Amino acid sequence: MSDDQPVPCGRRGRIDLPLIAWLTVIWMLLWSGATWGNLISGVVVAVVLCVLFPLPPVELGLRLRPLGILLLAKYLLHDIIAASHKVALLAWSGRVGPAAVVRVPLRCRTDLMLAATAVAVSSVPGGALIEVNAVTATLYLHVSDADDPENVARTRASVWRLERLVVRAFGTRDELERVRQEPPSVERDSLGDAP
Amino acid sequence: MSNVSNWSKAADLISAILLFIGAVNCLSGVIGLLRLPDVFTRSYAATNPQTFGMLMLLAGVALRLRSAFDLGTLALVAFFQLLTSAVAAHLVARAAYRTGLLGETPLLYDELGERPPH
Repeated sequence: MSDDQPVPCGRRGRIDLPLIAWLTVIWMLLWSGATWGNLISGVVVAVVLCVLFPLPPVELGLRLRPLGILLLAKYLLHDIIAASHKVALLAWSGRVGPAAVVRVPLRCRTDLMLAATAVAVSSVPGGALIEVNAVTATLYLHVSDADDPENVARTRASVWRLERLVVRAFGTRDELERVRQEPPSVERDSLGDAP
Repeated sequence: MSNVSNWSKAADLISAILLFIGAVNCLSGVIGLLRLPDVFTRSYAATNPQTFGMLMLLAGVALRLRSAFDLGTLALVAFFQLLTSAVAAHLVARAAYRTGLLGETPLLYDELGERPPH
């Protein structure tokens, strides 16, 4: 896991062993039985699927860092609890402040890190992901109660924090270097004052 | 003997509590879906309490089933639930933004800028 060459994975028309193993594990879990019959039928189904529906080549660039994954899971769980608590309160009271669409530029560049951050961000309290720009690595969030600039700043900070945690869990060394830098400045911040 | 049954009673009790918390969370998600004013806040309501409620329900069921294989299946359910609900919420929010379903209250400002602020 230490070399930094991105591993090409899921090449068209090739048999991709990790993918087949993963599909077979899912198959066996779904049939809930670790029998030879399930194993063999699972492998057959997985190979047929890989041949019939080949995946486009993806620069995976994935590293698994156990400590980082643990920290990410802990933060996500905490985040999901906080978010559902907040939404539950909102639901019972039924009152929402004015909203805004907020730009959050990210530091990571690979598609996988961007996608993982975007998925993680969906659990941020009070922010719905509206658009992802993969070219500029920018997320656009719908933030409620945006009349409070501190709330907007807090949402941005939590996105950047999640990005760092995601990269620390799955990122390459290059990406780790990137997220060590300060988050990019958001120059249109003062737009909030406009009527 | 009584020790074992005490442990399983405790696990059953915790499982019942987790199932209750999960159900209450799912309920508050549904209430939010009905009461909140626009698509975006509704999409939070449809994902966050629902996801947490689902995780609690799965944990409760896991404590009741107590078999390694079923735990694996439940973990799989949790994994795909987390992955897909995020994507679904994003697609709903994106479609709502692009078709201008922004609700009654205008946006304070819009840094995506594909739509002029009201």
